[in-house]
Amino acid sequence: MQRFLDPTVLAGISGLDLIAKTVVDGFVAGLHRSPDFGFSQEFAEYRAYAPGDDLRHVDWNLFARTERCYLKRYRGETNSQLTILLDASNSMSYRSHAVSKMDYARYTAASLFYLAIHNQRDPAGLIVFDDEVRNYIRPSTRQGQLHRLLAGLEQAEPRARTNFAKPLAHFQEFLRRRGMVVVISDFYESPETIVKTIEPLRFHGSEVVLFHVLDRKEIRPELRGPAILVDLETEQRLEVIPDYVRGEYRRKMDSHLQQMSERTRAAGLDYHLLVTDRPLDTALSEYLFLRPGGR
Amino acid sequence: MMGFLAPWFLAGLAAVGLPVYIHLLKRQTTTPRPVSSLMFFERGTQSSTRHRRLRYLVLFALRALLMLLLALVFANPFLRRSSAAANDRLLLVAIDNSFSMRAGTRLADAKRDALEVLAKRKPSQPAQVMALGGELQVLTQPIKDASALKAAVESIQPGDSHGNFGELGRGMRAMVETVHTPIELHLLSDMQASNMPANFADMVMPGDVSLVLHPLAKSVVPNWTVESMDAPGQLVDTKKARVLAVIAGHQTPAATRTVSLVINGAVAATKKVEVPADGRATVTFESLDVPYGESRCEIKIDPADGFPADDASSFAVKRADPERVLFVHQAGDSRSPIYFGSALAAAAQASFVLQPIIVGQAADVDPTKYAFVVLSDVASIPSLLENNLLRYVQNGGSVLIAAGTSESHRQRIPLFGENVSDAHFYSGAGGFSTVGQTDPSHPAMKDAAGWADAKFYYASVVDPGHSRVVARLADGTPLLLDKQLGQGNLLLFTSGFDNVTNDLPLHPAFVPFVDQSARYLSSMEQLSGARVVDSFVPLRSVTNEASSKTASQGATVEVIGPDGRRPLSLQEEATAQSLKLTHAGFYQIRFANGREALVAVNPDRRESGLELISEDVLRLWSGSAGTDAAATQGAGATEERKSAYSLWWWIMLVILIAAVAESVVASRHLGTQREEV
Repeated sequence: MQRFLDPTVLAGISGLDLIAKTVVDGFVAGLHRSPDFGFSQEFAEYRAYAPGDDLRHVDWNLFARTERCYLKRYRGETNSQLTILLDASNSMSYRSHAVSKMDYARYTAASLFYLAIHNQRDPAGLIVFDDEVRNYIRPSTRQGQLHRLLAGLEQAEPRARTNFAKPLAHFQEFLRRRGMVVVISDFYESPETIVKTIEPLRFHGSEVVLFHVLDRKEIRPELRGPAILVDLETEQRLEVIPDYVRGEYRRKMDSHLQQMSERTRAAGLDYHLLVTDRPLDTALSEYLFLRPGGR
Repeated sequence: MMGFLAPWFLAGLAAVGLPVYIHLLKRQTTTPRPVSSLMFFERGTQSSTRHRRLRYLVLFALRALLMLLLALVFANPFLRRSSAAANDRLLLVAIDNSFSMRAGTRLADAKRDALEVLAKRKPSQPAQVMALGGELQVLTQPIKDASALKAAVESIQPGDSHGNFGELGRGMRAMVETVHTPIELHLLSDMQASNMPANFADMVMPGDVSLVLHPLAKSVVPNWTVESMDAPGQLVDTKKARVLAVIAGHQTPAATRTVSLVINGAVAATKKVEVPADGRATVTFESLDVPYGESRCEIKIDPADGFPADDASSFAVKRADPERVLFVHQAGDSRSPIYFGSALAAAAQASFVLQPIIVGQAADVDPTKYAFVVLSDVASIPSLLENNLLRYVQNGGSVLIAAGTSESHRQRIPLFGENVSDAHFYSGAGGFSTVGQTDPSHPAMKDAAGWADAKFYYASVVDPGHSRVVARLADGTPLLLDKQLGQGNLLLFTSGFDNVTNDLPLHPAFVPFVDQSARYLSSMEQLSGARVVDSFVPLRSVTNEASSKTASQGATVEVIGPDGRRPLSLQEEATAQSLKLTHAGFYQIRFANGREALVAVNPDRRESGLELISEDVLRLWSGSAGTDAAATQGAGATEERKSAYSLWWWIMLVILIAAVAESVVASRHLGTQREEV
């Protein structure tokens, strides 16, 4: 089943719903748990009836046997709202193999939605943004919510540039209820700006997770000869030589990743680097780990 | 010196513009490589760019060179080199060893001249030796080994064939198809006029062959010869046999010649004959007193001319008691044997005795003791006899069947195998039928002039099937059919010999018919007489594949040539269908059907006419070979000719090298470009 978490395998599957189901079932099977675990209302204890209690909770079977009135107590539900903020800027369309960053981000988001709605019965919502909010699907557990979310992901084609500051105000409006906020982006911005922009999301008490999606060739690019590079977002051109790529660039990128990790942790944000040729289970594990009362 | 055979192809040089366009005009179009963000990149230039550009220009140069060479190779450039320099010109020496080369010292002169020609060649020039008789005989491959070439020339023996310059022309035309170098052909011959083919075009040499003629006979030699003769192949009565010989003179004055009849090496008779100037005279020997068995006879004239080899003409005679012919007839039919026997006895050289027998008594007769068998109007024959006859025919015997009226009651003719579909009674309508057509090429119908007068009142209608129809009646009914069965023959006469069903036995044509049929059926025709060199003798039947196989399994032929050797190998003796008589003299042959014969073979008498080809024809011939001058002597005239040496192969080689180099450079250069994309 592990191979169904491989993004290159998923790229051959059409339909995000099928991809999400494949990933989650594969992931869950990997946990050696029943796919139906967790959500059914669990019996906690019996409590003696007191006037004013809801009669619907009386265990009439027990009453018939003992002629005493007891109420069945259940463990309270621990719903956790999941909101995914998906970066749909042009830089996300980069790919060095079959799966682009945007694809990988979609698979991850879809899997999380599936896990949240289908398995955990958590309300889930989606915000697609680039330099502004392009799509917003309110978190809900309503019938058909999963399909709405997946359709939202399908429609999220990369375009324009990333700008965290501008849509942030909208995020604040949308995220009034506490829960879990997942930001999926390639974070081509200074770590300081990113943290400053995203940190306010925590103020509602939400858990904020940053999934930093990068292609392997972005971390370790290879260049045999001098080449002209063009920025996917700005379309700016630059002639670059291999020596720079092998040396300076790598240092800068490593430094960027390290700062991202450190600054986000310092701000109480959860940060994970997702490389597009790696399996999807990191993101799913993170979700289940952070979810209150999860697993 | 260099030339272009197809200068229009040089227009292809315009294709050089293609790499110029690709490299010099389109060189700036490179696809930039997209990245997510230039956030961490900085501008940089590299010193190796110059190397890259150099490689780019090398690639351009290679591609332009490829185009240039391709255009050049289509234009087919060549170098003109003088032939003297080209050692690859093949020196071909053809020595005529036809019968006429036996005159004087012609063959020795030819060999001497051939050795001189070979000695003059350069050691690196390949040469080949051939002998020209009735056919072109290749004695060596194109080799440079002088001793092997000399041995090949020395090994040429005088032949008995009739030379044919048409064969030489045909051989050369076939040779230039396989040998692509120019050929210098030296023909050493007496240039006998009779060796020319009927059509001069047959002896014309193809363009790549330069012909150098070496005529060996300077003048015409007077020559007498035994031009033809008529002698029996087989005889019974020596008093009745006679020999006719025609003595011919070629370019001779009137003279008296002494002609001798030699039997088995001893002169039996001598006669003098007046031969007119350049004319012919006939000599007749009235008797041929040969002993029993095969005799080797010869007509000889006194050797007093320049070509004694053709002064004798040999023939073989077999003297034997008359051979018996089995005549099977019905008890009530006494007419048929009388008519047939009389005709057989009346033949000029009566070699057969008829032995009539009634069909009822013929059951245990052994047919192999008879020359052939006649079944005359036999309604039914004992199965034992039929089986014996079938085996007899399969092994080479022959049967003449006269269908007669009795066959109309039968469905199928015995032995012959075909069905009787109907019977025509012409007398019933008050009339008769006559012979409509005959096949004079059949031995039995050689003299069929009198057949038209014969009246036929009855004939069985037989489906010819695979048999040959020799004669038909006026209404198309087959009258005489010939069918091959195994090694033997079946002759079917659909009427009778009894003077009832027809009146042919009363006509004079009946005697030659019976005589010729008897000779044909007894294979006497095949075995007797004298033959010409290079003719063929059929050794076994060829028409029936299956039966020839059985025959080849059962019996091999045996041939002993004039020199006492066997000209056929053991395998050939088991399978060969015919024998080519390549030498003059006597061949002792035992055929597949068991018969033996002594065959006399004489050279073609056209070789005796020693007239030479006229000078202007020789000039025309050698001139037609492509030389400008009438180079009948000396090879020097041809040595100045220029030959075109094509360079296309070398250019293709350079193209291959350039293509490989282009691939290497392009893969490295474009490999870098792919990185950029």
